Amino acid sequence: MSTSTEKLRKATLKVTPSSRKTAGSTSGLLRVNTRSAAASHSRKSFSLAGDSRLLEKGPAPVTGRGVQVFDESGNDVTPRPLCHPDPATTQPRQTKIFAAQDASGASVSDFLSTTFQTTNTSFAGPFTRSVLESSAMSRSSQSTMESLNDEIEDSSAKCSISVSLSDLQVKKEEGKEVMREDMLDDVVERYLTETGTFWLLDMPAVSVSVDAAEAESVKERNRAYIDLCKNRMGNDKYVERGMQTFNGALKTKELQSEAVSLADAAVMATTWDMYDTYSSDGGVGEATESADQSTSPDIILSQSRESSKTPERTMSVLSSTSMASSLSSQKETAALFTLSEDKASPQLLLQSEKFQQDLCVMERVVLQNIFQARLAAYRRLPVMKDPDTLHKPSETLGVEMGAVPPAPALELLWSFSCELTVGQSVSSMAWNKKNPDLLAVGYGQFDLKNQKPGLICCWSLKNPMWPERIFPCQSGVTALDFSASHPGQLAAGMNDGSIAAFSVQSRERTAVLDSSECPHKHSGPVWQVKWTDQDSGPWGEDKGETLVSVSADGRISRWILRKGLHCMDLLKLKRIGSKAVRKQGGEKTRRSEAYISRQTAGLCFDFHPRDPNIYLVGTEEGHIHKCSCSNNEQYLETYTSHKGPVYKVTWSPSCPDVFLSCSSDWTIRLWRQDLLTPVLVFTSLHRAVFDVSWSLRWATVFVAVNEDRLEIWDLGANILDPTIVSSTRPGVKLTSLLSATQTDCVLLGDSNGHVGVCQLNDLGAGDSQAGALEEIIRTTLQSNCN
Amino acid sequence: MNWSFETLKRIQTQKGVQGIIIVTAEGIPIRSTLDNASTVQYAGLIQQLVMKARVTVREMDPQNDLTFLRIRSKKNEIMIAPDKDYFLIVIQNPTD
Repeated sequence: MSTSTEKLRKATLKVTPSSRKTAGSTSGLLRVNTRSAAASHSRKSFSLAGDSRLLEKGPAPVTGRGVQVFDESGNDVTPRPLCHPDPATTQPRQTKIFAAQDASGASVSDFLSTTFQTTNTSFAGPFTRSVLESSAMSRSSQSTMESLNDEIEDSSAKCSISVSLSDLQVKKEEGKEVMREDMLDDVVERYLTETGTFWLLDMPAVSVSVDAAEAESVKERNRAYIDLCKNRMGNDKYVERGMQTFNGALKTKELQSEAVSLADAAVMATTWDMYDTYSSDGGVGEATESADQSTSPDIILSQSRESSKTPERTMSVLSSTSMASSLSSQKETAALFTLSEDKASPQLLLQSEKFQQDLCVMERVVLQNIFQARLAAYRRLPVMKDPDTLHKPSETLGVEMGAVPPAPALELLWSFSCELTVGQSVSSMAWNKKNPDLLAVGYGQFDLKNQKPGLICCWSLKNPMWPERIFPCQSGVTALDFSASHPGQLAAGMNDGSIAAFSVQSRERTAVLDSSECPHKHSGPVWQVKWTDQDSGPWGEDKGETLVSVSADGRISRWILRKGLHCMDLLKLKRIGSKAVRKQGGEKTRRSEAYISRQTAGLCFDFHPRDPNIYLVGTEEGHIHKCSCSNNEQYLETYTSHKGPVYKVTWSPSCPDVFLSCSSDWTIRLWRQDLLTPVLVFTSLHRAVFDVSWSLRWATVFVAVNEDRLEIWDLGANILDPTIVSSTRPGVKLTSLLSATQTDCVLLGDSNGHVGVCQLNDLGAGDSQAGALEEIIRTTLQSNCN
Repeated sequence: MNWSFETLKRIQTQKGVQGIIIVTAEGIPIRSTLDNASTVQYAGLIQQLVMKARVTVREMDPQNDLTFLRIRSKKNEIMIAPDKDYFLIVIQNPTD
């Protein structure tokens, strides 16, 4: 019931403005009708009152009497109602209404069907009058409810129906009031029935089907007509006569409407635009709108983006409304985004991660422009000459090297140094195993007297002016090695015996691992660290890389990571030969005890390239021991020849049995694994040789560094003398050496903190392989024997 | 944050670098080592060029995007690192 009343109410609301227009007329008319018709007066006045009540609801100014009529002189000539509504009489009406509704049930639907007509039509005064009269007449003949139904059924009664609607509306509302008071919870039954069909238009068909019943008669008639038409010609019955019809008078009528505004809209659907839209998931408004912001402030692009989104939403031809709505929503969010961005930038911009990355790349690009020729030479690429500029000879930076005989020559390409490293001495260098452009350099003093805090710098070839990572260390760094299985891990051994592991992937400057708390840590400087792959640890569990270190306290330890660094001694270096204890200034003294337990400092070690169980150790005594990981008591072999501490032992990368050693007794010795005496002894100057390294490219070439000279030996060319010798500036000592893969260059560290990259030019070694080296050894042995 | 400033200073002191400009995506210069007129001119022109370059790259393959742009001219080289929020522009003459 509520819905029906709502509908009715809606109808009345729609009707109200129009009824308001004609309210005056209706009331007037009604009065006419009341006077003329012999209907129930109370009911008519009722309707008036109903009208007045409706009008009260409307926005029109309202007195208790509703409409006010004024004549020209401003007198109030509002007709007064004939009689006032009697509330006592309403109730039986309402009940009658409901009863009638229960009985017939047609009124509701009638109202619904007729409201269409009422709302769609406009009121014409005289028409309503006639309607009302007719309706009044119809009303008068019946009782209240039946008259109501008749009104409804009279479809042409528009105004009256509005009135009747208001009537019913009022009654219904009053009835509702009564209802609310008394019978709220009552269940009311409603019957819906269908009215008879209203014929609005009936155009009978002109054509008849051939199969129809009257087809014959129709055909007959058609034939007759045709005959008639034929007979018409020249027949006296039919006379042609002209007639003049009046043409209707034409009248021009002007109409003005708002100009239709046209707007041009352009869409640019590009492939990437569509890709962006669909990949950022249509429906996620923020993502697409942030993608909006991301491209550009260009209006064209943003509009195209917005307009290209609408096909996604409407999936049809762009309708102006949808585009307008999408545009407005986009602009709103766009405005929001710009607001938030304005607040944040530019400080946040400069600190953002992306900006730092871009800066890094930009720095490298700028430096690449500067260093292009040198980097190309390093990488063995042809050096391109800049076509736009004059070719200038390459500059020499840093350490000056004098060139020796033109063909084979050493050329300094550039040197890694920055203000942080000036004054530090380079103690060790290591290449990254995974990225051959990354170099770690450790700075620390050899001199144990004045200890400075050390430094580790990770340099990249792409930026020779500033290190990529800087790790300050508490004591001087003496050994470095990158891990192969975790390429970001760098192990460092220090002067104070501690071992630290750094992760170069982050920018943190602190060590990831530190052995300072380990109870078994080394008590002397750690001279070398190395990551090795062990097949199986002695515990049977650790497969993978472990860190092995040798230090001046005579221990070779393996470190494992188990809640911190723990070490396990692989070997304790014992003394061999009754040599007196030598005290060297500042160095720790060795225990002068019984022969068996004396320990000697280990200075270097090297694992066999093929067999990770075997390694060589060079000691301070001058012995080289071959040891095995599985045996931590005895040496497998001892090679005695050097007379001074062995600074470096290195296996040949090409020949599995050959190794080199250099010591402070001015010699470099070439050994073969099975011979206890050196095959070859190289000596050039009376200077301690600090470092020696096989060339990774040529099997017969190795590089050695003594205090102030770099020597390149090519065994294929000359056994007795180095092939290339380069001296350094006076005052600068060369301290460390590193060979590089993929290149002809050699890295030299000196005591000024420079790491020079020197290219070996025209060595003439050719592609000498291991066979050449073995050949040399064989011939040497033969000649020795002879 | 310090690292950014330090790196900017380092780039500025490299050989041949004539200027560094950092512009927002709207074309407003945040930092510049050149004079105002040149900065504004560079910012406006380069913005259009970067847009065109980006459209070119993305049109060929929408999954691709522009990461770096270098313009080599007779007298110098302009290097641009574009991003959705900013452009980093460095002008260098490496053969000075």
